[in-house]
Amino acid sequence: MDFTKLTITQLRQGLLDKKFTAVEVVNFFLNRIKTIDPAIKAFITITDQIALKQAEIIDEKIKNGKEVGKLAGSIMAVKDIFLTKDILTTASSQVLKNYIPKYSSTIYQKLIDEDAIIIGKTNTDPFAFGGSTENSGFFTTKNPYDLTRIPGGSSGGSAASLAAGLCTFALGTDTGGSIRLPASLCGVSGLKPTYGLNSRYGITSMASSFDCPGVFANSAQDLAILTQITAGIDSHDATSSNNQIPDYASLLDKIDLKGLKIGLPKEYFTDDINKEVKDSVMTAAKVFEKRGATLVEVSLPSTNLGIAVYYILVPSEISANMARYDGIRFGQSIPNSTDIISYYMATRGAFMEPEVKRRIMIGTYALSSGYYDAYYTKAAKVRTLIKKEFTDVLSQVDVILAPVSATTACKIGEKASDPLKMYLSDVYTVCINVAGIPSVAIPCGFDKENLPIGFQLIGNFFEESKILSLAHQYQQVTDFHLQKPKL
Amino acid sequence: MSSTKISPSDLDHIAKLARIDLTDSEKALFLPQLESVIEYFDILNKVNTDGVEPTFRVNDQSNVFRTDEVKESLPVSDALSGAARTKDNYFVVTATIKK
Repeated sequence: MDFTKLTITQLRQGLLDKKFTAVEVVNFFLNRIKTIDPAIKAFITITDQIALKQAEIIDEKIKNGKEVGKLAGSIMAVKDIFLTKDILTTASSQVLKNYIPKYSSTIYQKLIDEDAIIIGKTNTDPFAFGGSTENSGFFTTKNPYDLTRIPGGSSGGSAASLAAGLCTFALGTDTGGSIRLPASLCGVSGLKPTYGLNSRYGITSMASSFDCPGVFANSAQDLAILTQITAGIDSHDATSSNNQIPDYASLLDKIDLKGLKIGLPKEYFTDDINKEVKDSVMTAAKVFEKRGATLVEVSLPSTNLGIAVYYILVPSEISANMARYDGIRFGQSIPNSTDIISYYMATRGAFMEPEVKRRIMIGTYALSSGYYDAYYTKAAKVRTLIKKEFTDVLSQVDVILAPVSATTACKIGEKASDPLKMYLSDVYTVCINVAGIPSVAIPCGFDKENLPIGFQLIGNFFEESKILSLAHQYQQVTDFHLQKPKL
Repeated sequence: MSSTKISPSDLDHIAKLARIDLTDSEKALFLPQLESVIEYFDILNKVNTDGVEPTFRVNDQSNVFRTDEVKESLPVSDALSGAARTKDNYFVVTATIKK
């Protein structure tokens, strides 16, 4: 049986109906990883022994007629910035090359508690700093649709592993597009939730007022099931939301497309966007129109300021968060210095990747004496304007529909040597993080070279239920989310 | 700020504040890169933000408290398990003051 084709619900039902065992599912995916991953390089660590052990426990429970979790039979790939107790967690950086955490991140643990099976830890840009996995301290992950191209990032290993059929779902984080961009470039679905919906506890911190952990899956329906489990307040994360969590999966059919207003922001449909991408996204919008929704042109005039705001505020928060990597309590270190300052400088200089150093230095500069108001405070004020533009537009329309990326996946190395050029490819994702609202990325086509194209549905704060419902209804009448690369 | 120029000594100063040793080739690579990124930030100068309050966090929670309960903490052996240098249940750190 081809287990890559089964949904979360079907995998669990198959176990309960004794059509197959969890051990069979794990072995199937381990075999696929063994054959396919050497070319794609999505994984840093394969947790084969742990996966088999988890599967045996699930099979035993079923044999004895005991209850199993909602995710029994589902295979999970985990971005390597999520702490996983007793499992190597590198953050794709030489800094944490040998780091084995002694506790687990909250949302990973919640999924494990529902019997999700961890198959491995996936590659990312180091500490999630990047949009292609090219900054990884170990290797670059390849796009399963074209091995000469990037998978997008930073959660590129997670997106690529799912696209290649090496898991049922994957964990990622989205600070400026790091779920939506790789989802779009690899042709899978991914949800960046509202800031605070999913706990940040136990995930290496990038920019604490932006970081949003979330999931990749084969469909909006699976995203809904997973988000139901991951969402909710966590006493370990004071910024996690205490909002009531709706039953996302049961609400998927409840939003009536008839009379729904969908905003198309003109700043997201300019001539800077590749024509094939624009056409595919417009075709997706027409699918909603055909089913009764109204398409309305809207304007988010500060869109072009998003990158500057983001790349001031995020590196500023990074420079503070990265101060913890001193090689004393964990991480690699260069011990033979005579004073502590030279020790810090030598240790951090030796193991941090170039992009890590760049971002810490941009942030240090923006926060330094004499520049603080000109950069940090100014950017924080423009953040207010960007957030207000979104909430104003979302009071006139129900959701916003936009492309995720101006192009399909670029060649490996194409933008790697020019950080500014790389940063500018986040233009259609970062503003959503600046505002803190949710957005789901959904596949909607392929270009002439058979590279995936995606679009995003953006909702107001805590409107995951609405955007997931629209995504689901789109996937009921299209099949882009079911297509897989030939490997 | 306009037409930002970062001098090599500025770069050294930033690196020192950030506690990062840079090699000469890294300095040569980073200087123009940081300059172009920081120059790009000038785009914000054109925006009128008079009377606009800065946003430091996007949700409206404030003063999130929890009850102060005594709970199990991470065992010492676990807390020390990632450290390169330990002694008698402590982390060993390079001298912080001169003898």
